[in-house]
Amino acid sequence: MPKKVLILGGGDGGTILANRLVKKLPAGQVEVEVVDRSDIHWYQPGFLFIATGEADKEDISRRRPKLFRKGVKFTKAEVKKIDLDDRSVELADGTKKGYDYLVVATGSALNPDEIPGFEQGADHFWNYEAAMRLREKLFSIKEGKVVVGIGGLLYKCPVAPLEIAFLAEELFRKRGVRDKIEMKYVSPIDRAYAPHLLNRVIEEEMKKRGIEVVTFFSIDSVDPEKKVVNSLEGDSLEYDLLILTPPQQGAKVVRDSGIGDDEGWIPVDKYFLNIQGYDDAFAIGDATALPTPKTGVIAHFQAATLAHNLAVEITGKGTKEIFDGQSFCVIETGMSKASAQVSNYFYDVPPGLIPNWLLHAMKLAMNKMYWRCILSGMI
Amino acid sequence: MSDVQPTITVDARGVACPGPLTSLIKAYRKAKNGDIIEVLATDAGFKADVEAWVKRTGNELLSLTEENGVIKALIKVTAR
Repeated sequence: MPKKVLILGGGDGGTILANRLVKKLPAGQVEVEVVDRSDIHWYQPGFLFIATGEADKEDISRRRPKLFRKGVKFTKAEVKKIDLDDRSVELADGTKKGYDYLVVATGSALNPDEIPGFEQGADHFWNYEAAMRLREKLFSIKEGKVVVGIGGLLYKCPVAPLEIAFLAEELFRKRGVRDKIEMKYVSPIDRAYAPHLLNRVIEEEMKKRGIEVVTFFSIDSVDPEKKVVNSLEGDSLEYDLLILTPPQQGAKVVRDSGIGDDEGWIPVDKYFLNIQGYDDAFAIGDATALPTPKTGVIAHFQAATLAHNLAVEITGKGTKEIFDGQSFCVIETGMSKASAQVSNYFYDVPPGLIPNWLLHAMKLAMNKMYWRCILSGMI
Repeated sequence: MSDVQPTITVDARGVACPGPLTSLIKAYRKAKNGDIIEVLATDAGFKADVEAWVKRTGNELLSLTEENGVIKALIKVTAR
């Protein structure tokens, strides 16, 4: 009897895992099913380029069923409940599905209500519709105050607010309105970017580009009428355009099933990714409570580790590997350059790379390679 | 300060920078004046971060200690 691997969520992590499993194991040994409520797959790093007008919908989205290798079954359905003790999940239509191994790859969900006034007063680019609204504003603003930075404290892609600050600044230059726009970058800590080494490069670049860094500014509320953003530290800033990271939490099904922490992130073993207390259920990607960045790179590397380990478990051959927290984030700094942040569980001081054209070219290549090489499990 | 009992505990052990400080800010968001927030962290940079944060926000750092690699900060909320 083939072992049934049920994967909830067909994003980056879920898709790579499914494709790697059927690549590694013959149909007689494994049956892989992916359940996702949507049949559209978004390349989420592409939302940045939607906002800046450098990409369009067709560049960053594909029909999800076409992204799976032969042998992966895709089911479009909403998952209502996960019961780890019963080894089953319940779909919205009441159907129950059992499994030998469960992988929860349900990502993160936006939670703008956590910051009063965010929905009405702030812009972001964490989904297609929001990115298009922001594009409209970035291309129409002629003068005024632009405030960019960290709103929700736990959010997908730690470097995204830096990137939109740099790319918006470049766009304003190209549009000939830069000298009429004042730009500020707000951060809840005493510097723009947490890792110290790269922060030096980031702050230097911001200074050069005329972006003022406002530190210890943790967003408390937004007043959309007065166009003022207020901090927990008691300060306020006026804005004409406010671009902030939206607060995020774990997926609704995780919260409803009681398998996450108080924000819906799932506690897992940091090396083997099994949900704590279970050896047949795992979580990968943004869904976990691990202290790793919530990025596609992490989901990718976790999916690779887990695919290997499940193959070892199912065949009884080979040795399991650990996930070492490895991450590599390319940071667009504009002007056809990009920097990069490297991290894993073991660095005391995570290294960063100074901005150069090669990393920028890498990021552009990645936008294309994602569909063919990464999702398919080739690399 | 051993007799001071925290009303909120933030366990950020094993979390890299700036996790401990952002966890503290999250707790601070929900706190009220008079609350005592205890933060446990293993990231070496947290000591300097929390000292700077307390200075900037005007809250009170009751103690900042380290034992067996675990940094413990006790903060009295006074500036909400």
